[in-house]
Amino acid sequence: MGAFGHYLVSHFSTLRLEFWGLLVGGVANGLIYGMVAVGYTLVYGVLRLINFAHSEIVMTGGFTSYFVLRGVIGTSIPNGWATVGVLVVGMVAGGVSGAVMAMLVERVAYRPLRRRRAPQLAYLISAIGASYFLFNLAGKEFGRVLLSVPQPYINHPIFSIFGAPVQLYYLVIVIASVGMLILADQFVGRTRLGRGLRAVAQDSETASLMGVDVNRTIALTFALGGALGGIGGFLLGLGTGVVYTMGFVPALKAFTAAVLGGIGNLRGAMIGGILLGVVESLSIAFVQPAYIDVVAFGILVLVLLVRPTGILGERLGRAA
Amino acid sequence: MKLRFNKTVAAVASSALLLMAAPAVDVASASASGVPTYTIGYQGPLSGSYAYLGEYMYYGAMVAINNANAGTTFGKLPFKVKLAKFDDQGSSTLGPAQAQAAIQTPGLIAVVGPAFSGATEASEPYYSRAHVATVSPSATAAALAKGSKNNFMRVVAGDDVQGAADANFLVKTHGAKSLVVINNGSFYGAGLAAVVSKTAKSDGATVTNYTDPTTGSCGGTASTTEYAATATQIMAAHPAAVYFGGYYCGFGLLLGALSSAGYTGIIMSDDGSWSTGLFGDTTPPTAANGVYVSEAGGGNANLTGKLAAEFTKLSHQKAQGATYAAQAYDATNMIIKAALSIKRSPNIKVLRAQLINKLHQLTFHGVTGVIHFQGNGDLSRNSIVEFAQANATTKTFNVIGHS
Amino acid sequence: MRRLTESLRTPTGRRAITSIATMAVVALMTGPSGSATEPTAGPVGSYGERVSIFGLFAGPRWFLFLIFAAIMWGVWTLWLQRGTQLRSAASMALTVPKRGFALKPVRLVFYAALIAVGVVFPHVVTSQYWQSVMVEQIAVFVLLALGLNVVVGFAGLLDLGFVAFYAIGAYATAWVTGSLPTPAPFGVHLNPFFAIPVAIVLVMVAGILLGTPTLRLRGDYLAIVTLGFGEIITIFANNLYGITGGSYGSGGVTGKHGIPHFSINLGPIHYRWTLNPVPYYYLTLVFVIMFIVAFSLLEHSRVGRAWTAIREDEVAAESVGINPLKYKVMAFAIGAASAGFAGVVTAAQTIFIFPATFTLQVSINILALVIFGGMGSIAGVAVGAMVIQTASMYLLHTPPAGYQPADLYMYLGALLMVTMIFRPMGLIPSRRRRREITLAEAGEGHMNEVLTGENP
Repeated sequence: MGAFGHYLVSHFSTLRLEFWGLLVGGVANGLIYGMVAVGYTLVYGVLRLINFAHSEIVMTGGFTSYFVLRGVIGTSIPNGWATVGVLVVGMVAGGVSGAVMAMLVERVAYRPLRRRRAPQLAYLISAIGASYFLFNLAGKEFGRVLLSVPQPYINHPIFSIFGAPVQLYYLVIVIASVGMLILADQFVGRTRLGRGLRAVAQDSETASLMGVDVNRTIALTFALGGALGGIGGFLLGLGTGVVYTMGFVPALKAFTAAVLGGIGNLRGAMIGGILLGVVESLSIAFVQPAYIDVVAFGILVLVLLVRPTGILGERLGRAA
Repeated sequence: MKLRFNKTVAAVASSALLLMAAPAVDVASASASGVPTYTIGYQGPLSGSYAYLGEYMYYGAMVAINNANAGTTFGKLPFKVKLAKFDDQGSSTLGPAQAQAAIQTPGLIAVVGPAFSGATEASEPYYSRAHVATVSPSATAAALAKGSKNNFMRVVAGDDVQGAADANFLVKTHGAKSLVVINNGSFYGAGLAAVVSKTAKSDGATVTNYTDPTTGSCGGTASTTEYAATATQIMAAHPAAVYFGGYYCGFGLLLGALSSAGYTGIIMSDDGSWSTGLFGDTTPPTAANGVYVSEAGGGNANLTGKLAAEFTKLSHQKAQGATYAAQAYDATNMIIKAALSIKRSPNIKVLRAQLINKLHQLTFHGVTGVIHFQGNGDLSRNSIVEFAQANATTKTFNVIGHS
Repeated sequence: MRRLTESLRTPTGRRAITSIATMAVVALMTGPSGSATEPTAGPVGSYGERVSIFGLFAGPRWFLFLIFAAIMWGVWTLWLQRGTQLRSAASMALTVPKRGFALKPVRLVFYAALIAVGVVFPHVVTSQYWQSVMVEQIAVFVLLALGLNVVVGFAGLLDLGFVAFYAIGAYATAWVTGSLPTPAPFGVHLNPFFAIPVAIVLVMVAGILLGTPTLRLRGDYLAIVTLGFGEIITIFANNLYGITGGSYGSGGVTGKHGIPHFSINLGPIHYRWTLNPVPYYYLTLVFVIMFIVAFSLLEHSRVGRAWTAIREDEVAAESVGINPLKYKVMAFAIGAASAGFAGVVTAAQTIFIFPATFTLQVSINILALVIFGGMGSIAGVAVGAMVIQTASMYLLHTPPAGYQPADLYMYLGALLMVTMIFRPMGLIPSRRRRREITLAEAGEGHMNEVLTGENP
């Protein structure tokens, strides 16, 4: 057995020891990726382009919920139903602000280009500009420092899975994100607005002839994706605090998740998110922490080269 | 061509207004009554993720300037001094540009700083070429002190002193036989961590090393997932103690991740973490309770009494725990004292060269101890390393002893 | 109330809202900054702080910016009503005369004059800060922008990891001069002049290696993959202590000396560059001119026309026998070459290099230069780079109240967005781009002209 064999044995034993703990952390992270990925997937579905400014919607949700929580609970730590109430308030703050910011981005950075039928490159550059503008503005306004979000609970292990403790924070993530993902899925699949959205995704010209207001539908798409992204920002902030650059890496991972699941495909985004979160988490047993982002990028490149349509396939126009 | 000129005009108009709105820069100063004005530069972070640390030093220097001008430190001065700030954000990329801006500033005789080791490394070639003395209050990377009668000096001990003391504190004082040493991938953190792991090994402890790059939350672009990952790896290694070489922001994230993972052993970090900023960057803040930090300052490293009051008035920060404010105060005074004994000259180059010589000759009794520089710019006294413990409730660090 | 909402829905009302919103944002951008202790200080101060301007105005900022909004609204409205003649006059002024320099001798004189200005410049600007800026921040970024222009402007590929090539060039220089922890090849420590071919070959190989698999991807995927590539290069530079020196960069704690300066030892001629920026300025000037000439020739060659064809309609280009992948990879490699050279200059001039110099922000900075100057326009990109870099270094040197160095990226982001919305062809548009954008807006394709080789 050479050095590499030794490497594998020692790291696999770490993996065996830590497997359930890593799995729990991976699923929780992955659900947040999935939620953010929905924003990419929805926008891609109707506009056929990647919203580079989505990371800043996550950041907006994080900061808004930070300020709201600071106002609501300050330094005190609520318990019982008050905790649930504060969490709901935080989610609403993150979701609403995310939706508003997403609509603003659509209005300012995309709509003028759409009117002009600009080439795809123009959208990408405009969105990158919007993203850089927004996060650096946030950095200027709120200081370029990490701000710890007031905690609505005392984080502690609630129960354990095969010996791996599950923190309250993870439970909050799972409940909030699974709930929101189901809601989004039902909304797109069942409601009239959702039907309009799918119609535009399938063929925007025909849809507009059939009486669907395309501009309104696109705004709605951004709002829906933005709301989920904003809530994702709130959940991220709850764990590690908020800072102006907080959106960048999670959004990049979320994009990877969206591609992994099949971009344009809502359920694919969720599955891609969980899968990426778990793979990334399990890779902790094998690589130095500094290289974890390299693993995520590696997965992205591999998927794009080998199966660019993702696991569930691009289901353009069939966003559900 | 279908350019939308209505919008173009709007853009042009708004940018013109923007230019109008930019406030005029204050250009007043210069000598009023035949008394020359010497400018002392401060190079360090005043914005960005490390603004906290940089502002402590800036205001520490400011206290020294105000007192010198008022005549309370050295009596009535035959010149006036003023402080010019050069914000390098602690970055080695911005460092050279700010160094050159400093060098080019009329009447600038010396610089307090650069504050961060990486920025110092990148800036020194320029300062050294222009013969501008730089007295750093905080650039501790061991490798910075080199050459002889050089323009680089510092009023703190190098990392070799602090790192060795920290390792001994963990291994000998607290009996930790297994250590995980993590650094944040910065010039400073990595250097310190290397010394800690070397000393701990020679003390007989087993050491595992990890690197976390500066994270997204601390101004870089890597993700916070890495701290969860680091915590998991630490739990797998179940060490008696964890040492973090880096700054408070990354340390705060690590503490949050360690607390989630349920780590209960000893945790220690360096002077980069000895900042009230730590409590704002740790989620939950209680995770910072009881962690150790150290500083190679020596003696009472804080501004006290009247100086502390002045510091608080300027900075709106408590002087207690304002890391390196006292060192910046001493560095500034050292420069002013040297300036007292140089010959007046209209030629700035002559002034600067004289100042470097004088700084190497002088001995000054500062608030951090006796300051006298060796040829390589390091302090000639043996520095004392101070240890403190964090209290998350009062958001303070309580000094518990020294090496 | 109802009348108010109705009047806001009219075009005039909408312009009022837009003016107020724009000025509200501008007030935030130019206002004071927040901090950890006071995270609300930014917005509160931006509107609440009292200002006075030359004694003409004294009052809170919100009121000042309300006045600005009113002015903006007034000018805008007036412009729409009376602006037809003004508009045509302005479009004349903003348009580069189509055949203005058609006469060869006139052109040559113009270029010679430009070069003369370039040569005299360091003798006019004698401040050391600005002389260094001319090399490190202007000349180097002109080179980088010229390189990215080949990729984005000529071939229409969005590369967000361009900084990686810059980094590879710089690290290659440190490597062959023996300034990295990893030993120099064959143990020979070369002068940076010899690093130029090594760096350029290395970045071109990196460009081909990255490009061959990824350039098949759609434009937006390519953007993300290149962004990832840039990040990975930084992560490796930061963490491979044994090879790159990690975060210490070259030298420093590793105990190595700095990267040597350029030097010439040819028979009786001995010359060594130093930290003095002026000789470096002339050296880079020569290379900038060389790259400009080479890229202009390339633009008007068969390769340049193939790039245009691919950019405009890949399928059509393929159908007439152009291999898109081959030409895209070529664009990647050629664009990377000038970035590699920029890396050599940076490494040799600044002595130490650090991973922190090669971040995503730099990629975005370069992109902003290209977009602002005019995608595909060599003159535009060069001028754009000079304008923006000068402005940003001026702001760093003499910051107005409330400005922090990191605010630069806020302005660059806004600039990218505003350029794309209001003037997508940039400051000095390339003729081809202008036509493409106009035609795209009219919804027409026009491959024939391009493919028949006509130089429009």
